[in-house]
Amino acid sequence: MLKATLEKWDRLTPHQRQSVDFTLPKWVITQTLVTICEENGLTMKHITELEMMHVIENPNQGTWYSFQLLDPEDDAHSVELMLFKEQFKTHLRELMRNVSIKIKKHTDEAVWIRIAWGSGFSRPNHLKPTYVVHYLQSPYVFVRNLTSKLKPLLMQSLTLSTRHQAIKDANLSGPKLMAIRDLLMKQYQQSFPTNDASPLAKENQPGPIVNEQAEARASRRRMASEAFGKGAVPQLQSAVYKLETKYRDPSNRTMTERDEPFRCVVKYSSSNILESFRHCASAGIASTPVTPLLSSILLKGRNYFVITDNAPAAASQTRQADL
Amino acid sequence: MEGASSNGVLSKLSLLEVEARSRGSHPQPQQSRVKELKAKVEALKTKRDQLKAELQTHKLLQRLRLSEVNHSEEEDMDEDSESSRVLRLMARHSELTDLLRAHRLIGGYEVVKTHQGKGVCMSIATGYEGVYLDTYNLEMDTNPKVRISRHNIPPFIPLDTLAEQSDLQTGIRTFLDTLSQHLNAYVGRRQQLKLMKEQHKSVEVMESNILCSMLVLMFTMPEQVAVLCLLDYKDLSRCLPTQVKLDCEDEKLTDSPQWKKSCSLLLELPVHRALTAMKKMGTVV
Repeated sequence: MLKATLEKWDRLTPHQRQSVDFTLPKWVITQTLVTICEENGLTMKHITELEMMHVIENPNQGTWYSFQLLDPEDDAHSVELMLFKEQFKTHLRELMRNVSIKIKKHTDEAVWIRIAWGSGFSRPNHLKPTYVVHYLQSPYVFVRNLTSKLKPLLMQSLTLSTRHQAIKDANLSGPKLMAIRDLLMKQYQQSFPTNDASPLAKENQPGPIVNEQAEARASRRRMASEAFGKGAVPQLQSAVYKLETKYRDPSNRTMTERDEPFRCVVKYSSSNILESFRHCASAGIASTPVTPLLSSILLKGRNYFVITDNAPAAASQTRQADL
Repeated sequence: MEGASSNGVLSKLSLLEVEARSRGSHPQPQQSRVKELKAKVEALKTKRDQLKAELQTHKLLQRLRLSEVNHSEEEDMDEDSESSRVLRLMARHSELTDLLRAHRLIGGYEVVKTHQGKGVCMSIATGYEGVYLDTYNLEMDTNPKVRISRHNIPPFIPLDTLAEQSDLQTGIRTFLDTLSQHLNAYVGRRQQLKLMKEQHKSVEVMESNILCSMLVLMFTMPEQVAVLCLLDYKDLSRCLPTQVKLDCEDEKLTDSPQWKKSCSLLLELPVHRALTAMKKMGTVV
């Protein structure tokens, strides 16, 4: 991966690139690269450029958190790249003096921002940069590696530079940027009821052999794809339900008698939970029609829910944890 | 071994022997056969009557629909008012279903009932220059209020704003029409960009956005003059730009009639066609 990025970066001569042996241990490679960069007189600016290129090509590391911009002003729809870049840099620099900001537009219309934070007294720390991805004219922002202390600064700069009035946590996070992006931008196939006759995909069963449950199976499959999408679904890896509901079990009086809610967290993880849920529903393991607790993942575009007794479906409480 | 004796060949043979003995009298099987056939005849008769009744109803419906079209007097209906009312409703229902099907075929939207009548699903088809592109769907609950529950419309289309502007409870038709306009315009602009990239490889796209509401192009005029062209699509319900700005280093060119002609072409024609025309005129290399 690094090899491909080095080629794309194009600041090393082919000879220099060939001299890097990627089979050696990491610290040896680092030393070689540092020497080569010093030879070429490259500065921190160039290295950050390389890092940003690498992250854009390989975004699936760490955890991406999504946010939603709210209440756009009248001119929010005409914010274009130059204006956004200028405004964002100005606003952020007003709030924190020592920041290093790099903004780059990717071919799929995504605006990538790399921020290295300093403080009033120290220079920007390039070892722990925050990455932000935003599609202009869409309400979503994706952030990686932001501490809670610096969160308000970033949120304010983003809100002002995109001409919105507020921003909130979208309660959707995961290690794969493209998965959460596809989910929120609705770039996956959904299944809707239509009047079209279904294609002749019925199995040709010979003569007297009849599938007794064909109708039930078809109906389960339909409900599963309505709740969890058709075809390839965005690869979400987990869904978390924080329960703040009262314990309900008629056979256990001690627990049921307590007044406070029984707090627990239910977490589903898989390499592709939507695919797993869909399979469970169509195979009959999960009951159909699919419970709104599960179908809300796609419907509301979130994978973190707080369930309270008053509102059994997703409550709109934001998470408290550090980013 | 006991189980084997009850299932073995000998036991089977003895069963058959008992059966053969009980079939001693001949008329019995014939009688039962006759009864069978008589029952079958009855069943077929009732089925025939049923089909005849359905055929009659259809004929009456056809006559009703034709009579409503021609505004002529109703045909003599010797049934009582209850069934004639039902027939009228059925005629109206089939008329509306056909109308809906026709609407969908011409590229309008389609409505399907869902959840046992408690909701509807609208499908809006989009296309540009005779090519069908994406289909967008909206599922709505109708009880207690009309509310959008599920859809696959991308977030940069201002769905909530449009829903607020036309009251969903009473003006759903306006809402669908405006939404269809916005979607078709977006898809049209996106398609124009795609065609332009395919047909005019010498033109460079400097900037675009996901809503396709703004485009910055760079093309070269004869004698290597680079021109920067900014197209602004402020009206999101239209495929054509609301503003065109051309910029180049050579000040003299900005006053030439060719310049003004190019500006007007870019305002009036879709971008890929405008560039073709400009190439023909020799304005663009």
